[in-house]
Amino acid sequence: MPVILLERIPLPSLRAYTGFSVVLLACALFYAHQVVLNAESVGLEIPVVSVEQLDDGSFNNNEIQYMNVSLPYDAYVWNMMYVMTAEAWCVWTLVNTAYCCLILLGKLVQKIVFGELRVSEQQHLKDKFWNFLFYKFIFVFGVMNVQTMEEVVLWVAWFTILGFFHLLTQLAKDRFEYVSFSPTTPHFIHLKLLSLLCVIVVSCCGLLTVCGLVGFQMGLTIFAFMAAECLLLAIRTLYVVARYCLHLTDMNLEGVWENRATYVYYTELIFELAALSIDFGHHLHMLLWGNIFLSMASLVICMQLRYLFYEFQRRIKRHKNYRRVVKHMEERFSMATTEELNNNNDDCAVCWEKMETARKLPCGHLFHNSCLRSWLEQDTSCPTCRLSLNEHPVNRDPNSNVPDNQNREVPPANPPGNQTMNHFFHFDGSRYVSWLPSFSVEVTHTNMLANHNRLTPAQTSQLDNMARQVLQVFPHMPLNAVVDDLRVTRSVDFTIENILEGRLQAPPPGTLLTRALGEEETSSDDSDNYQTASARADGVDIDQQDYLEIPNETGDNNGSETDNERSDTLSQFSGRFSKSANERETMLEDRKNDMLEIARRRFLAKKSDDNSLSSEETEEASVSDYSDNINTSSASNSGDTSDTVRRRRELAYMAATRRLGQQTYDTSIE
Amino acid sequence: MAGSALKRLMAEYKQMTLNPPEGIIAGPVNEENFFEWEALIMGPEGTCFEGGVFPARLTFPPDYPLGPPKMKFTCDLFHPNIYSDGRVCISILHAPGDDPMGYETSAERWSPVQSVEKILLSVVSMLAEPNDESAANVDAAKMWREERDKFEEIAEKHVKKSLGL
Ligand SMILES: [Zn+2]
Ligand SMILES: [Zn+2]
Repeated sequence: MPVILLERIPLPSLRAYTGFSVVLLACALFYAHQVVLNAESVGLEIPVVSVEQLDDGSFNNNEIQYMNVSLPYDAYVWNMMYVMTAEAWCVWTLVNTAYCCLILLGKLVQKIVFGELRVSEQQHLKDKFWNFLFYKFIFVFGVMNVQTMEEVVLWVAWFTILGFFHLLTQLAKDRFEYVSFSPTTPHFIHLKLLSLLCVIVVSCCGLLTVCGLVGFQMGLTIFAFMAAECLLLAIRTLYVVARYCLHLTDMNLEGVWENRATYVYYTELIFELAALSIDFGHHLHMLLWGNIFLSMASLVICMQLRYLFYEFQRRIKRHKNYRRVVKHMEERFSMATTEELNNNNDDCAVCWEKMETARKLPCGHLFHNSCLRSWLEQDTSCPTCRLSLNEHPVNRDPNSNVPDNQNREVPPANPPGNQTMNHFFHFDGSRYVSWLPSFSVEVTHTNMLANHNRLTPAQTSQLDNMARQVLQVFPHMPLNAVVDDLRVTRSVDFTIENILEGRLQAPPPGTLLTRALGEEETSSDDSDNYQTASARADGVDIDQQDYLEIPNETGDNNGSETDNERSDTLSQFSGRFSKSANERETMLEDRKNDMLEIARRRFLAKKSDDNSLSSEETEEASVSDYSDNINTSSASNSGDTSDTVRRRRELAYMAATRRLGQQTYDTSIE
Repeated sequence: MAGSALKRLMAEYKQMTLNPPEGIIAGPVNEENFFEWEALIMGPEGTCFEGGVFPARLTFPPDYPLGPPKMKFTCDLFHPNIYSDGRVCISILHAPGDDPMGYETSAERWSPVQSVEKILLSVVSMLAEPNDESAANVDAAKMWREERDKFEEIAEKHVKKSLGL
């Protein structure tokens, strides 16, 4: 790639270059001044330096000839200008000065609007710059086949200005995308970026006028070439402006903006298609006009054409998909009625915002119109329960090879037993966290039973102990089923919960598959339930708050080592969500440090405990520790075992009733 | 567009701050970029990772929650489902379309209903119960299966290291 080669060229620093340009300009001015003075005093003869430009770009002004030239103007300034433009090396100095000024202007804009550039922005800028240079080089020498120096200078001047604005637009776009990643950007940054973009748009209009004037003289082709570039720049800039405005409106709007996604989508579509078609037309024009079918330039242009064509096709395909999804959605899923919305006190599961209007899926789950649409663009199942929403329900025959989601949920290759295990474990991911009913665990747990079979004998005896506890409550359960379940849950409470829920009845082999499916549904219901039960952004669950406060108090009352530790642990929970970004950052940092500190202390304490405690005691301790973990509320006092046990029972009961309630709710929907 | 993703991430951050699950802390590394989070995960009790505090990076796509974030542990962690460079391989982090292991059902994949909290809880459960069927780190899976003592020794070493002890 030429880009890589060009990047190796060592460029002088901006300071050195500016200095050099200033010195050069001063020399030229001084020279012109001398010439003008000489001419005024002598009257007739002025020296003219014939300049030979050598291959290495330096000037050879050793040969000085004297010519008879009379200065045309009387005023000093005009004479100066005449001399400056008459001499080749003075003209080059002026050109160099112009570039230097442009670079300085760019630097100034960068300093004012962007500040320090990020690494990715610098990289983009560099790429854009060399790409632009490469393509314009091809254009000027490959397509236009420019011959005279004058034309080259004019084209270069035009592309310099254009490139300058292109780079600024690129920078503004990158910066906008970065800024849109943060909710706490100060207003003046938005203001600066937007005004820069507006200046670029206005300049584009100016450039278009220039195109018109030039085209008037040079003909339609030149006009088309110039105007296409101009329009492309304008469209790119306007696109950024449009996205920026949409973003700002969205951020400043309280609540949900139902049609936001639609606006965003169509803005994107229109601008992208417009840019692509103009670019495509421009390249096609170049290829046809240049008569360059068998040159390097034509190859490059053809590649570019091909790329543009595929981009265009891709965009159209995406739009077709979009239309299809929208149509499909509007046909099949009705808007939820007000009553349904009122009954559903949950937020939209996609964006976590309140729902004023919503679409209802066959499974009864509600979503915002736009949220559902953007999800359906990439997948065809309910986000919450994974129910397949395919357009052709006929294909749901499990033996057909159509790879729709319904089929993938029950791969026929899997033996039914395995499947059961899979889904069974889905429920119990919550055992590490107290207050969650359940959630979907990602891992395929097919091998888990095998792992647990390899438990050491000591653990097995512990299991037996636990199994006996369970059997005291449920004497009718078969021992091996209880032990199996305990292996998985490692907790008496959860096994009891499983039994209460009816999940732990050794099922007849024939119903395995259907059970697997049924559980799948329950599992997602649970995760849905979690959505309601868990405290959302603003509404902290009341129970949860109780849990937070009780242990703190007891921790203060008790002087024992363990309780102090616990109150430390819970200090993590009393997190406050500050309005100020800085405060949030420091609070998060503090919480992280606290956690690390507590973990360290615990680790060291455990190390010393391990040496002193007998094995049985450790076991007991770990069990009670674990129950503390199950729910912070039960952590009131680890010594008071009867209280803990009572609390555990309550929890198991609550969980069971909640799930039963959930099930009846679901059946009533269906 | 990052707007809706930003709102959702803000809500999740708020929830994780007001109401964090036991042993998990998560939030943006820097408020200037809400799409890059750091999470601290405490090793689950009763496992060989008990007591460790493991830092991880979460990188969210601009279309979050339609696409899943990427998660990567920034500490040493020897585990069957964690690549040696720290990337976490669990099925809810896989987009509905791709399936690197070729075995997952779509029910286990990413969906917008998932959240940072659920991901981190899944990771906790993954730490507790490695799934050596679909190993990301084959050495770790083998050791977990065959030389449990050695595996636990390494885990303990990493726990210590994560605590800076
Ligand atoms: Zn929504
Ligand atoms: Zn559903």
